[in-house]
Amino acid sequence: MTRPVGFAVLRVGRASFLLHRRAALVAVLLGAALALAAVAYLCVGESFVGPAEVVRVLWGQPSPDAFVVGTLRMPRLAVGLLAGAAFGLAGSFVQTVARNPLASPDVIGVTQGAGAATVAAMTFGVAAYDTLPYISIVGGLAAAALVYVFAWRRGLHASRFVLIGIGISVALGSLTQLFLTKGDFLVAQQAKVWLTGSLNGRGYDHAAPLASILLVLTPALLWAARAQRSVSFDDDTATALGVRLGRVRLGLIVLGVVLASVATAAAGPVDFVALLAPQIARRLSRTAQIPLLGSALTGALIVTVADLLARKLFSPIELPVGVFTAVVGAPYLMWLIVRTRSRSGGPA
Amino acid sequence: MTGNRLRAEGLVLTYEDRTVVDGLDLEIPDGQVTVIIGPNACGKSTLLRALGRLLKPRRGSVLLDGTELARIPTKRVAQEIGLLPQTPVPPEGITVSELVTRGRQPHHKWWQQWTEADEKAVTEAMDRTETGDLAERPVDELSGGQRQRAWIAMALAQDTDLLLLDEPTTYLDIAHQVEVLDLVRQLNRERGRTVVVVLHDLNQAARYADHLIAMKAGRIVAQGAPGDVITGDLVQEVFGLASVVVPDPVTGGPLVVPGAPGSTDRSARIGRHG
Ligand SMILES: Nc1ncnc2c1ncn2[C@@H]1O[C@H](COP(=O)(O)OP(=O)(O)O)[C@@H](O)[C@H]1O
Ligand SMILES: [Mg+2]
Repeated sequence: MTRPVGFAVLRVGRASFLLHRRAALVAVLLGAALALAAVAYLCVGESFVGPAEVVRVLWGQPSPDAFVVGTLRMPRLAVGLLAGAAFGLAGSFVQTVARNPLASPDVIGVTQGAGAATVAAMTFGVAAYDTLPYISIVGGLAAAALVYVFAWRRGLHASRFVLIGIGISVALGSLTQLFLTKGDFLVAQQAKVWLTGSLNGRGYDHAAPLASILLVLTPALLWAARAQRSVSFDDDTATALGVRLGRVRLGLIVLGVVLASVATAAAGPVDFVALLAPQIARRLSRTAQIPLLGSALTGALIVTVADLLARKLFSPIELPVGVFTAVVGAPYLMWLIVRTRSRSGGPA
Repeated sequence: MTGNRLRAEGLVLTYEDRTVVDGLDLEIPDGQVTVIIGPNACGKSTLLRALGRLLKPRRGSVLLDGTELARIPTKRVAQEIGLLPQTPVPPEGITVSELVTRGRQPHHKWWQQWTEADEKAVTEAMDRTETGDLAERPVDELSGGQRQRAWIAMALAQDTDLLLLDEPTTYLDIAHQVEVLDLVRQLNRERGRTVVVVLHDLNQAARYADHLIAMKAGRIVAQGAPGDVITGDLVQEVFGLASVVVPDPVTGGPLVVPGAPGSTDRSARIGRHG
């Protein structure tokens, strides 16, 4: 045996990296699927633009469709791609730390916290437009802290954590409704559309903060890819292997909350992407932990395809993308809960 | 005896407010196989967790080369002390091959994930535990004995001078139990590793220990060479069991035979109840 089964070894000088073959292949395929979905996304709309023309625009060549594709559709696609990737990553971190596929930022109240804070800022007009992502982060972190305070009792018990999280997310949802009824009517209408997770009217000014935060976080993401692997054992085994569990967990959770909040600020709380993407990616890749790149790509793919359908299926009415992710996500969530309950044994 | 690498002084170990070990001093002899025995819930696992810095002492300290464990970076400790918990939980779907590779984690730098040393340690660990044939199998799908060998292979791949094993024979049939314990002794004899093993079988303990520690209710009742430690009185005191200690026909060491001679006729008693 020269290397672990299923891995390839990449050597660059004295450096060596282990590459999970199947995960790498899946990432390439997901990337290709995403590219196709993105081109399709740019083709479709009120007027159809041929794929060849879209590619010309993407290459920056002069085209009569430059305005429709480049100015109208591209920014919205960019927000969808980035937010989807951020939700996928966020879900992967939170699920890893909680060791529970149910524990995703949109189930345990993080996106609802980000949503409540953003709606409050919008309807009461207390914050400038470009500070919304940061207000969203504060809201997300506050919600996470709340879950932590209530759920922590000599360690994080997975099912209590999720139940309390669901409770808090419901409470935050009500709070958001309250803000909506108290605030200015027009702004409230706008906020309502945002709350279903809509990419309608999203542009580069929404994509830019998201892109820059993802860029700044790149080193942290590289760290997380390794950390993710090291916390996949039980606590004692992980510690025996030299992992500083407390720090690693905290780091991953904060990263997950920040990403979910920033994505929420940009695209609204698009439900179930963070819940679905990591599990789909993991099943495809058959890795022993949730694959990061795969989760990001899957998240981006889900949002892109969902928004494509949302724009086209009932045209000229454009539905919020969150409606479509919910159509798939809600039944999955119910299935997960039913399965978890039957596993832990019914009433004895 | 101050030359030994791993020591504990005035150790107080608690879970919340419940004190499991109260003021224990201990020295693990270098280059020997130390076996810890004692009744269920007497604190064997708790002690082992403290020795492997998985549990922070409430008071007192565990010292590695004279330095408090808590002051040594976690990764550094993991390069010196390997520990296999009583019931480790593998990542879902992990293969045996990848599991064993994870044992190399404390030696990795982020840019060196597969060096010659890694390859050598993993290959040797899998050879010794005969897990090569299982390499591609998911750990979740193995039998208890196979799984246990995979875990031991991971601990071996970690390549530490000190190896702490918590009841490594629990899920194994008798032949595999002997196999694992032979392996442990071989590692110790050939590689000079210091090994601490928690066992529940008194006779196996007597057979494989160079140094035996008998615990009861969080205290050390007796320690030393098995021949000196294991007596009828000790078995009575520690396990509350009447027994006769006779010479082991294979090794000449102590062999514990439960029951008091002449006082009962077991088959007759069973016969009456049946
Ligand atoms: N994580 C824990 N939390 C609370 N009490 C524990 C924990 N682990 C063990 N104990 C208690 O500590 C005592 C010693 O347990 P342990 O060290 O596992 O015993 P042994 O390994 O000798 O069977 C037992 O009474 C057990 O119930
Ligand atoms: Mg035990």
